[in-house]
Amino acid sequence: MIEQIRAKAKELLESGQVSCVIGYESGTDGGTRPVFIYDPDDVKRLVWNRACYANLTTFLHDKKRPARRGEEAPNVAILVKPCDSRAINLLVGEAQIKREKVFVIGLTCSGMMAEGRLNERCLRCNTRTPVVYDALIGEPPDVEAVDEFSDVQELQSMTAAERLQFWLKEFDRCIRCYACRQACPGCYCNVCEFDRDDSLWIGMQIELPEKYFFHTFRAMHLAGRCVECNECERVCPMDIPLSLLNRKLVKEVSEQYGHRGGMTTEPTPFVTILADGEVSLI
Amino acid sequence: MMHLTHKDLLVWLDLMANDRTLIAPTDVGKEHIRYRPVTNSNQIVFDYERPEMSAKEYLFPHTERLMRIEKRGAEVVLEDLVLHREQVVFGLRPCDAHGFVAFDALFRDREPADAHYVRRREMTALVGISCPQMWDGCFCTSLGGAPDDPTHLDILLTVVNGGYAVQAVTDKGEMLLASAATRDVSDLTPPAIPQNELIPIVPSEAWPALFGEDYWLQLGERCLSCKICTFVCPTCRCFDLRDEPVAAGTKLVVHERMRVWDACTAPNYRTIAGGHNSRPQKGQRIRNRYFCKFHYYPTDYGALGCVGCGRCIQACPVNIDIVEMLKAVDSMCQKQGALGAEVE
Repeated sequence: MIEQIRAKAKELLESGQVSCVIGYESGTDGGTRPVFIYDPDDVKRLVWNRACYANLTTFLHDKKRPARRGEEAPNVAILVKPCDSRAINLLVGEAQIKREKVFVIGLTCSGMMAEGRLNERCLRCNTRTPVVYDALIGEPPDVEAVDEFSDVQELQSMTAAERLQFWLKEFDRCIRCYACRQACPGCYCNVCEFDRDDSLWIGMQIELPEKYFFHTFRAMHLAGRCVECNECERVCPMDIPLSLLNRKLVKEVSEQYGHRGGMTTEPTPFVTILADGEVSLI
Repeated sequence: MMHLTHKDLLVWLDLMANDRTLIAPTDVGKEHIRYRPVTNSNQIVFDYERPEMSAKEYLFPHTERLMRIEKRGAEVVLEDLVLHREQVVFGLRPCDAHGFVAFDALFRDREPADAHYVRRREMTALVGISCPQMWDGCFCTSLGGAPDDPTHLDILLTVVNGGYAVQAVTDKGEMLLASAATRDVSDLTPPAIPQNELIPIVPSEAWPALFGEDYWLQLGERCLSCKICTFVCPTCRCFDLRDEPVAAGTKLVVHERMRVWDACTAPNYRTIAGGHNSRPQKGQRIRNRYFCKFHYYPTDYGALGCVGCGRCIQACPVNIDIVEMLKAVDSMCQKQGALGAEVE
């Protein structure tokens, strides 16, 4: 697949169709990391393997505006795994990116691995072909997975008091670094409530009540919007099981409204669409 | 040389825990080891590498209450909030203690000294354990440190012969050890530690010439603008200061003045009144972080802002690697040097 990916990237850059290809390159830690290719000769840096964890779509927010004043915003190409591809729909549906500005190179995916094992999210994943793309690379793997939300059910079977204890213990490790928010393609507010100096909702302390509030508040804002890429949990330096919070809401919204974030460009039922197409979270 | 058995070490730690706050590496869940207050030595983890967070939070708390502000009728009463209980940080790695040099330079050794920091510094004893090895990403030896460097500690323990070789470094350490059942033993030679590769550190004065390099904006492209690297760093010391209400909704209005960690990598760090942000690009912020460590801070305060602990490398979710950066800086310098020579 990598030769096809590099060929496609080279073609797009050489033809001038895009000025940048966002993909993966080898990191210094034996894994991969995001890379931004501008020169067609650099496409050899691109890699594709079972360690391409990062959801690159969060970097599309950096490409919404031109690099210099007076110029046009750039056209870019981006590699997306099936889970990541849902973020393209999400951002188009919420008028964050213009579909025609982004060339989506969709990659079929057999799941990402760490330490010789499939990632947990990949074990339960049934979307093996991107839901949106301009070019598709790879054959869809023949994988059947069932997701019965057993992790959410397990948490649900606890009493409210037990569940509170569970989360307080997990959030205790949080350092309020905001890596989860920064990595999330759906977290793009220009000024996050948690960054406001005059926020009436939350103080600046790095203490349990603030951490607890931050995570639940963020999860609520992702209701029906979370694309289940699990990037928040991957980047968390303290291994807080954020997918449990998000998946609880995925389950509820999917059961109550038949909606799953980013499967189409249809926005979540929990937003207000303003007259100019902009989406306002409620 | 003094020797302490593991059993006697535990007895000594429990003794100390009686009349001071004992802070030590402990498991905070999911095999995450952090320095945390413990009440008994059985909560301490001894088989650890470097705890994920440095120990800076005990001299420079992530959330420090500096002052209490209370309105009583027409009067406003101000009360300084200070640390009252002595504390011992046990199990420090030598690089963590080395990190306090950067804090001392700013908060203690420069007028006006920061009363809260100085008080904590005086009330705190640092008891380190030598690293049995240099781990992935460790490069303390490139920055004047060593896995068994006692310099910035009060006491250094080194695992040897089923117990510990004990070295009292300061008078404070000497006094603390009075209650430990140490024995004089001759011939305690800890095994030699294999060294990691030495990383080239470009001298402070050579950095300004690199300010305009494209490298920084390229490096910044994959940055997520989170605060992980600065929060895990044993020398990063930026903070935000605000008064926050602590008893809202009552007639008695109480505020506390808070000092809370901040990070120059965060998007809004440089935003000022009116909304202008003088470092809007990620590359500018990354460049600032590294220039602070290797140029601004050494120039202004005489201390390097990096001790080579490698935490930021391990914790970064997008593999922004300070060692890779230092090597790139070195090669940019050499290239510039070569160009300069050609012009001459």
